[in-house]
Amino acid sequence: MADVDIGDLSVEYASGGYIVRPINHLSARIASGELALLLGASGSGKTTLLSALAAILRPTAGTIRVGDQEVTGLRGAALTDYRRHRVGVVFQTFNLVPSLSALDNVQAPLWAAGVPARRARSRAEELLERVGLSERLGHRPGDLSGGQQQRVAIARALAHDPPLVLADEPTAHLDYIQVEGVLQLLRTLAEPGRIVVVATHDERLLPLADQIVRLSPAATAVARPPERLEYRPGQVVFEQGARSDLVYTVEEGEIEIVRQRADGGVELLALLGPGRYFGELGPLFGLQRSATARAVGHAVVTGYAPGDFRELVGSGVGLPPARQARTPPCPEGPDGAK
Amino acid sequence: MWRVALRDLQWRRRRFVIAVLATSLVFGMTLLMAGFATSLHNEGRRIVAALGADAWLVAAGASGPFTTSTPIPAAEAGRVAAMPGVARADPLVLVHSTVRRPAVRDVNVIGARPGGLGMPPPATGRAVARSGEVVADTELGLAVGDRLELSGRRLEVVGLADGVTWYFGTPTLFLALEDAQAVAFGGQPLAMAVLTEGVPAGGAAGLERFSNGQAVTDLERPLARGLQSIDLISALLWLVAAGIIGSIMYLSVLERLRELAVFKAVGASNRSLLAGFAIQAVLLSAAAAVLAVGIATLLAPVFPFSLEIPAMAFPRLVATAMLVGLAASVVGLRRAVSVQPALAFGGP
Repeated sequence: MADVDIGDLSVEYASGGYIVRPINHLSARIASGELALLLGASGSGKTTLLSALAAILRPTAGTIRVGDQEVTGLRGAALTDYRRHRVGVVFQTFNLVPSLSALDNVQAPLWAAGVPARRARSRAEELLERVGLSERLGHRPGDLSGGQQQRVAIARALAHDPPLVLADEPTAHLDYIQVEGVLQLLRTLAEPGRIVVVATHDERLLPLADQIVRLSPAATAVARPPERLEYRPGQVVFEQGARSDLVYTVEEGEIEIVRQRADGGVELLALLGPGRYFGELGPLFGLQRSATARAVGHAVVTGYAPGDFRELVGSGVGLPPARQARTPPCPEGPDGAK
Repeated sequence: MWRVALRDLQWRRRRFVIAVLATSLVFGMTLLMAGFATSLHNEGRRIVAALGADAWLVAAGASGPFTTSTPIPAAEAGRVAAMPGVARADPLVLVHSTVRRPAVRDVNVIGARPGGLGMPPPATGRAVARSGEVVADTELGLAVGDRLELSGRRLEVVGLADGVTWYFGTPTLFLALEDAQAVAFGGQPLAMAVLTEGVPAGGAAGLERFSNGQAVTDLERPLARGLQSIDLISALLWLVAAGIIGSIMYLSVLERLRELAVFKAVGASNRSLLAGFAIQAVLLSAAAAVLAVGIATLLAPVFPFSLEIPAMAFPRLVATAMLVGLAASVVGLRRAVSVQPALAFGGP
């Protein structure tokens, strides 16, 4: 079976009137039998990537291949078949159906796929036994602990024995004793013929992984000397949604900071002349660029590594109050130095 | 997926029971309304049938035997009897009056020839044989041998008729023709109609022929607005029932959005999810309808007027209720269709 191949994947959607691109040109390959961790802070696109892998969300660009199947292009019956048989999802909040017993919760995906009742039942019993809940078949989710619910959710994800199992923050709602059991279980699922992808912000899970896909860059940027950069009119310094690396100061010319709106329009946030700086929050906090910076005419800027920039600000040398690129313009104030 | 729908009903059984109770009360009201309308119709048909005529002759141009105020000479019966196709013809007096029992009670008075048309055999006792006797509807609570005063005339109850009422259960008194003429016309030999056995072949000058069906229509004409109002109230009650079912189903969908998203994410079809909700709506409506039958049966005797709920109304209620339940859930079902599977992801 079936490696998972993510190729130049981008996901874009409108949020609060702006275009947000949680996943920006991501490529990764996960081999069969591996457990991959999608590691990143909240908002870094972990859930978005899981949704795309589960064929629940269609990416804006790029490809996802599971074995020889191109997932992003699936439609109709093929899409239903993929969701039913090729992928199993363990949701963050378990998402068990409160009216159904543990056994029925595991049977539900089998019922939905039209599996005969008797076969569905024996399969569900087998799975619940595998996750160590054979004594709890008739219990409703409300009568189970968080860890037990999570294990029912894992059994449900395995109902159709899918080659790809996705788990969204599987430890988020569990105490450490429960975490241990769930982690062991997830680890055993990653066996030849199956890939387990776990999205988490919990770095304690690192030893569990065969592979790690980092969705937000580490906040510590590599130290490098300040760089003087020249731009032609209209040339882009950095693009909205891109990973952040440097903080910039304008030396010559003007830089405009614009944000792409969901309706296709572009909003001018600031126009910065010599001595002003921009793009500092992204690299300092490991966030993606929230706007695009572009040279208006011919422009020269200096790019600083975040550490150098911090020192520069600390020394108070040569930096007038500046407009930065993360916040929308405040109408009355001059430039809020943030 | 129907199992999921049934488990969900069990899970939310308290709400289900409350919804069934509320809806069944409304459905029960519609049954009682139907019974009310049916009773009004049946009364008219029954009294017309009880008089035993094949045709009715009234003054030409009159609106009908029950609503006309134009009398004809009672002697016209002789002329009508001689017409081809007529085996027998008898004059009939129809008048509205009151008796004191001791409170004032409205009565319909029918005067006919003893032994003739318009004088049905009573349920108990005997028919009126001569002047001074009366057969009264059991509604009046009289017994054979009781005495009754009608417009100053003292009458003896010789028999009791059952179910001969019209106009909302107003009881009927059967009198000898001359007694009714005394009440209605001050003793003049007049009648409101001539009843015939056999249908007269030609027309009779100055008279107009009514069939039994036309006589019923005439009797019901003053009730038309009342019946329309009853139909309107019934329709409104159906709307209330639909509102209850619709809102319960909509709330249920809203509470299960995450669950629906999960089912969609694991590849359940919209159709199977909708079928689950449809099953719930139909079960809710059907249970309410069945309970409504019991409620209506219990409440019917409380009404001062005997309600005859037609037997067909029960299965019709259940069937209509299921359709209304389905239709009422459409808003909820549309909401269910619009749920995106992506909702299954994310935090609480």
